[in-house]
Amino acid sequence: MWTVKLREDVQWSDGTPFTADDVVFTYMDVIYNKDITTSTRDIITVDGKQWQVTKVDDYTVRFELPVKCAIFDLLIASEIIPKHKYEPMIRAGTFDSAMGADSKPEDIVGTGPFMLASYETGQKVVLRRNPLYWKRDAEGNRLPYLDEIVYLVVQDLNADFLRFRNGETDFTNIRGEDFPILKPLEREGNFKIYQLGPAYGSQFVVFNMNPGKSPEGKPYVTPYKRLWFSDVRFRQAVAYAIDRQTIIDSVMNGLGHPQYGPGTVAMGYFYNPDIKTYDYDLEKGRSLLRDMGLIDRNDDGVLEDAEGRKVEFTLMTNAENNQRTAIAEIVRKDLERLGMKANLRAIEFNALVTKLDKTFDWEVILLGLTGGPEPHWGANVWNSSGRIHMWYPYQKSPATPWEARIDEIFTQGFQELDRAKRKKLYGEWQAIIAEQQPYVYTAVTERLTALRNKFGNVFPAPIGGVLHNSEEIFLLEP
Amino acid sequence: MTSYIIRRILIALLMLLAASMLGYGFMKLAPGDYFDRLKQDSRVSQEYIEQERVKYRLDSPVYVQYLAWLSRFVQGDFGYSFEYKRPVAQLIGDRLINTLILNIAAITLTWLVAIPLGVYAAVHQYRPSDKVLSSISFMGMSLPHFFLALLLLYIFSGELQWLPAGGLKSVDYDELTTSGKLADLAAHLAIPVVVLVVGALAGLQRIMRGNMLDVLRQQYVVTARAKGLSEHRVVYKHALRNAVNPLITIFGYQFASLFSGAALLEIITSYPGLGFLLFNAVRSKDEFLVMGGFMMGALMLLIGNLLADVLLAVVDPRISYS
Amino acid sequence: MSQQAETVAAEQSNGQTESLSPLRLSLRALRRHRMAMHGFRILVVLYVFTIFADFFAPYHYDDQRRDHSYHPPLRPHFYDDEGNFSFRPFVYGSSYTFNDYYQRIYTQDRSKKYYLRFFARGQKYRLLGLLPTNVRLFGVDSPGRLYLLGADHVGRDVLSRVIYGSRVSMTVGLLGTSVSLIIGLLIGGISGYYGGTIDLLIQRLCELIMLIPGLYLLMILYSTLPAGLSSVQVYFGVVFILAFIGWAGLARVIRGMVLSIAKQDFVTAAVAAGLPGWRIIVRHVLPSTLSYAIVAASLSIPAYILGESALSLIGMGIQDPVPSWGNMLQKAVNISELAQHPWILWPGFFIFVAVMAFNFVGDGLRDAFDPGSVAGQQA
Repeated sequence: MWTVKLREDVQWSDGTPFTADDVVFTYMDVIYNKDITTSTRDIITVDGKQWQVTKVDDYTVRFELPVKCAIFDLLIASEIIPKHKYEPMIRAGTFDSAMGADSKPEDIVGTGPFMLASYETGQKVVLRRNPLYWKRDAEGNRLPYLDEIVYLVVQDLNADFLRFRNGETDFTNIRGEDFPILKPLEREGNFKIYQLGPAYGSQFVVFNMNPGKSPEGKPYVTPYKRLWFSDVRFRQAVAYAIDRQTIIDSVMNGLGHPQYGPGTVAMGYFYNPDIKTYDYDLEKGRSLLRDMGLIDRNDDGVLEDAEGRKVEFTLMTNAENNQRTAIAEIVRKDLERLGMKANLRAIEFNALVTKLDKTFDWEVILLGLTGGPEPHWGANVWNSSGRIHMWYPYQKSPATPWEARIDEIFTQGFQELDRAKRKKLYGEWQAIIAEQQPYVYTAVTERLTALRNKFGNVFPAPIGGVLHNSEEIFLLEP
Repeated sequence: MTSYIIRRILIALLMLLAASMLGYGFMKLAPGDYFDRLKQDSRVSQEYIEQERVKYRLDSPVYVQYLAWLSRFVQGDFGYSFEYKRPVAQLIGDRLINTLILNIAAITLTWLVAIPLGVYAAVHQYRPSDKVLSSISFMGMSLPHFFLALLLLYIFSGELQWLPAGGLKSVDYDELTTSGKLADLAAHLAIPVVVLVVGALAGLQRIMRGNMLDVLRQQYVVTARAKGLSEHRVVYKHALRNAVNPLITIFGYQFASLFSGAALLEIITSYPGLGFLLFNAVRSKDEFLVMGGFMMGALMLLIGNLLADVLLAVVDPRISYS
Repeated sequence: MSQQAETVAAEQSNGQTESLSPLRLSLRALRRHRMAMHGFRILVVLYVFTIFADFFAPYHYDDQRRDHSYHPPLRPHFYDDEGNFSFRPFVYGSSYTFNDYYQRIYTQDRSKKYYLRFFARGQKYRLLGLLPTNVRLFGVDSPGRLYLLGADHVGRDVLSRVIYGSRVSMTVGLLGTSVSLIIGLLIGGISGYYGGTIDLLIQRLCELIMLIPGLYLLMILYSTLPAGLSSVQVYFGVVFILAFIGWAGLARVIRGMVLSIAKQDFVTAAVAAGLPGWRIIVRHVLPSTLSYAIVAASLSIPAYILGESALSLIGMGIQDPVPSWGNMLQKAVNISELAQHPWILWPGFFIFVAVMAFNFVGDGLRDAFDPGSVAGQQA
């Protein structure tokens, strides 16, 4: 049970006061409304039980949750929408088309520091200062300081980079290969490039360990290959064989970080640095495979098992992502040096997802996931019943002891309110994954933000970028 | 003639229908649908994905989906784009204007340059200048669009910084004067237009040259010369007019291309046109957008063909349709 | 020599009037077309590269040197630091480090020379697919490396990969066009010969296929290819996809020609003689269209080369590590990479040259075979 007290001085940008009514409305009439499609509902429903959100008084709301929830503060960061504007629409059934891209800016009402001023679809969005924003600075002045923020739609990373270089934009994220061109221009262009450590997300190789069969009775993965993939020594051997430094140097222009487990420094508080790492060591990899009985028996450069079957498989990745296909080619060559013959095939993302989620007819895939500081957002990936538990999704019960332990960790972690205990739990999770390597991680790029020097109170960060504290940013005097 | 046109229109409508079936069938051939990509996002619930799929009937058999789309399409409802969450008609309309601007500029420039060059080449046939022009035309025709675009972008935007980096308008476009706006548009259009013109120039120039040559061999030209008319009048007053006539039909074919965007070119120059829009739509299986764009393109092609045939009949009295 | 003089000469040599066949006349006109001959010579060179790629390329296309990432083009030296001249040119070893700006700075190790050799020993291969050998036209002693056109991001020699890439880009056009040509000849022939409803239906079908925008159809068809294919199979998949789209245009052209040919006397005679339809088409009508068909085909080869390049460029064609001029340009689309390593644009230049050569030859063929055109006559 949580009781949340609201600030009493907050107004919607059209002047109406923000009250508990809006909060209750958002949860009970919008999020839990069966006729409205929303992703949030599923996330805040546990075992089919909903939250009970009730008004205590105009500025107090009570949340009754069916289980203890460690991330309650994150979950209620869901946007609240104004009752006075949207209740009529819900009654009339027009809610779904309410905030479409053809709405008038004046109709989009919020409580944040900026409001929508205008937009040109596909080109730009202009935000202007909300004069009714509740936050004030230490001297009592109303924030925000800035009058206007203009977002330009990114069509192409090339154009984005060039626009910044030509002075048309004030900040942007750049790629590793943009750095050598931009860095020497820092003084002339009056900007600074911030190197913010590893970016979010991950790129990894995943092996199909799904023992199931298609409706026609054909196993998803050839059984002897599946046995190889399910052997932790096989996966660890691959981990030793991946030349992460080359990936960083050749694909990320030297601006990247090796990755061995699901978390990096970017994860912040929950990051566990004491996990198993895999330095580039082909011989170690080969000896692990030798223990499994995989040796090059006929000197053709490819390992075979005792029955003479070659270690050969198809490595797929998605064609749209140039960086990923470049990493895939390096990994393919690394596997060749290890003694495995990987046939590289880049296919459409949709086709890849269909394989991962519906037909399960794949062998090895190089893919990536986005990440974040809160491990629970990855529940769908790490729970053995999860749909993004790529190597063997939708399990009815955990297939291995370590997957069972991870299920436990995620259930406990969700309910554990003590932060330090949570950190220990998720630390264990990272250690298990690093040991078991169901995802063989490769490398992650360095987060690079280029920002002009004309602003004060800017603190670029890996999460939230530059504008996470937009209300405090101001223009310096020239 | 009128009955011919009417017959053609009826056939065209049938063709459109058949094309819509073919196009829809092909599009559905590729595995997966738009919402599959959402499955990879850990924070999107399964329920949401399923709800959306049912909402758009993606779980029904293909022919059911096709009929649903068709019935709405003929009533003028082109559906919504999954990706942009806007009506397809609006999206295409917005981008269409940009593509039109680009193509009109390119075609105008092409004709303005190709006609005189073709005449010049014909008049100076087989002399060095003709051969040089011929070679340059061929080179232009052979340059891959994407290669030339990259080269120009690298030189003029990357190295020299004379031209902007792509897109259609600068950030502060709205604050410019009218002449400022025109100049801004021109600067942004420069690279894509040049790429398109270079590619199209060769063909048109050679056809013009060929036509001119054919005309110059005709009896009436010989007669005109015999009558003592100046070479200048012979070429420019009589021959030219007749040589241009067949080109009118080419314009008919080009009508269709007015409305199509070269996807790769637009991607490289970040030009917000139709090609880019549809390319991404095909990639992400944004169905209604794909079908909307495809049908529009098909319609324009059919109109263009009809226009070309009609113009041919109008221009050349020897041809008549019954 | 003028036409007349030739004929006269023929008369004189065997005392009989002999006129040259249309084919010989056309070939003669072709030879006179200078640009076409230039194009032809370029194509010959390119095809020699294609057939003997292993011999001409100093390195195999998959030969990575990861410590030579983006190595700039290397010029062999004749003079060393002390000013000594050497008849045999040589290169130095190099390595790179990232400077503060994360630019790659290459330094050469002047202490050891690696000499350029002709008929050097390189990676093993099979000449013409049969004879195992390891002799390549030129190379430098290991572990030195020669990068005449620079190296890509994993240190693979661009020149070698361009040569190997010709195997894809030069054959895709020929193969795809041949398939389209065969289909187009048959369908166009049937359509034009029989006329009537068959003609109507077939023509509408052709128009239907031409209605669908090429690039999108290519993309969609590519995604229907099953995933477990080897690179050779993918190659043929791409060829068939291109041909699937291309035959319609050719069929229309053929049909137009067949329509006019079908009215000629020799066809009427064949019909009167009772020959079956298909035999008339294949044995009598189609051969007359052949010259025009070849012109149309050769003019469409560039479209196939460009189509494969575009597909590979967006990642939906030939896969790494097999090079095609298209997929080698994937990194060039990134303007920062291009600005720092402009040599990765070389494959685009080769595409341009190949397409131009085909255009010249096609144009020459068209002029030569078209009796009405001015170029076909005596200059």
